Amino acid sequence: MLARNFIKHFPCKNLSRHHILRDSVRPLIFFTSSTPQSSFSISASLSTSSSSSSSSSCFTDESFAAPYLSVRINCPKHVLDPFSDALLCFGASSVAVDEDIEEDNEDAASGSSLASKEICIESIFPVHEEVKMCISQAANSIGLKEIPKFKVEMGDEQDWITKNQDLFQPVEIADRLWIVPEWTSPPVPEAVNIILNPGFAFGTGEHPTTKLCLLLLQSLIKGGEAFLDYGTGSGILAIAALKFGAASSVGVDIDPLAIKSASHNAALNNIPLEKLELHLAPSENSSSGRETPLQKEQFDVVIANILLNPVMELADHIISFAKPGATIGISGILSEQLPNVKERYSPFLENISIATIGDWVCMSGTKKGEFIDNC
Amino acid sequence: MAAAKEILLRRPVAATIRLTVPAGGARPAPPVGPALGQYRLNLMAFCKDFNARTQKYKPDTPMAVTITAFKDNSFEFTVKSPSVSWYVKKAAGVDKGSTRPGHLTVTTLSVRHVYEIAKVKQTDPFCQYMPLESICKSIIGTANSMGIKIVQGLE
Repeated sequence: MLARNFIKHFPCKNLSRHHILRDSVRPLIFFTSSTPQSSFSISASLSTSSSSSSSSSCFTDESFAAPYLSVRINCPKHVLDPFSDALLCFGASSVAVDEDIEEDNEDAASGSSLASKEICIESIFPVHEEVKMCISQAANSIGLKEIPKFKVEMGDEQDWITKNQDLFQPVEIADRLWIVPEWTSPPVPEAVNIILNPGFAFGTGEHPTTKLCLLLLQSLIKGGEAFLDYGTGSGILAIAALKFGAASSVGVDIDPLAIKSASHNAALNNIPLEKLELHLAPSENSSSGRETPLQKEQFDVVIANILLNPVMELADHIISFAKPGATIGISGILSEQLPNVKERYSPFLENISIATIGDWVCMSGTKKGEFIDNC
Repeated sequence: MAAAKEILLRRPVAATIRLTVPAGGARPAPPVGPALGQYRLNLMAFCKDFNARTQKYKPDTPMAVTITAFKDNSFEFTVKSPSVSWYVKKAAGVDKGSTRPGHLTVTTLSVRHVYEIAKVKQTDPFCQYMPLESICKSIIGTANSMGIKIVQGLE
């Protein structure tokens, strides 16, 4: 009985907590794509000419469009919890239980069994999994006498992708600053409207960290600055900076899909290539090291909205791109993680200020003039 | 029954979803994508939130996540670290426990291993108020039930 989800082939390592932060450097943890050359439906092409994105065109990117098996299992109510856990151990990717059973009328087969003490579990399995064996093993392990009835369907990847798109509504960040999805017209045409189609990249403007960074940008950009967006995702910050009046923006990301999404969005906002440069930063797998073609001390404003670990690992790197006296903003961190970040960055920054929305914070400061970082 | 629940809860719950996601590695791809997408939850928000909260774990540690999806497409989630048996097996470098625990010992672990595992487990939302000693005792119990002996020091 292998708990396949948990145990693969781990070497025997010391589980010291100090190692947890330092192991396996992955600079920008957004998402990885194994096939950088493939196209996916939402951002149709890389060209900066007119973009046609229809959400129903074909998917060829495997890691995101991987088919999956959707299985509905009728399970007795009293063993719901152990059975769910057992399913996860024996190969299910996820287990979901609808709470409101009376309204779940989609499946006729489950209608009759709901009268008895059964509950319907929706489970997702990887495509190559032996569903029947997994369910029977799970049932055996908790002592069920008979295997629960189940129904397997091939999951349609279009379902959840298009549903995800629907959720993106125009967002008002501040007075007269809106983020508008590509398929909607701006509610306030006179405001500064950033048109976006994020695809699979992060940055729709809804997340507190994006809001914090946008507000920071709005306060910082007076006109003519050079801006660096480290971890650009959908490119939202880079584009916003240009709209506020920056002279040029550079966006860096380790995910090729993010770069695609950002260039698509630049086109949507009619931004010429000279003003917005995008660079694919090498992730840890490439052997060339950290060779983005950017000069040191080139930027007036640098913002990195990533995650705690990359922000800590890349601190020197991020700071090196800023001119002395430039403002650096760091976000994507929770308020409980802030002390670590502050400690890491305070040798280089002065006038540190913190902005908070909910659990998320954005830390900004100006780079010290004569101090050369030598860590 | 649904009406009674609605009275008790602030928001009506649409579904409870359980899955396993590697720490710091949530992506909008399967399994996260379809599982959450079916209930129209904001995938990006979940991925960012989950990744931020699991930064302190070793990357790719499989975390057990339980998501409560509400009818208004909002959600909450709790993250649990992997089971003690997973940590014990990983620390010992074995794939399975012993087939005859109590009689057959597969390998040994030192007290220091137990302490390290206990420290990580203490950050779990369910274990936070337990004294370290009881967590250690429970880990030793689990290890013994898998046929892994705990010794004072290795070698």
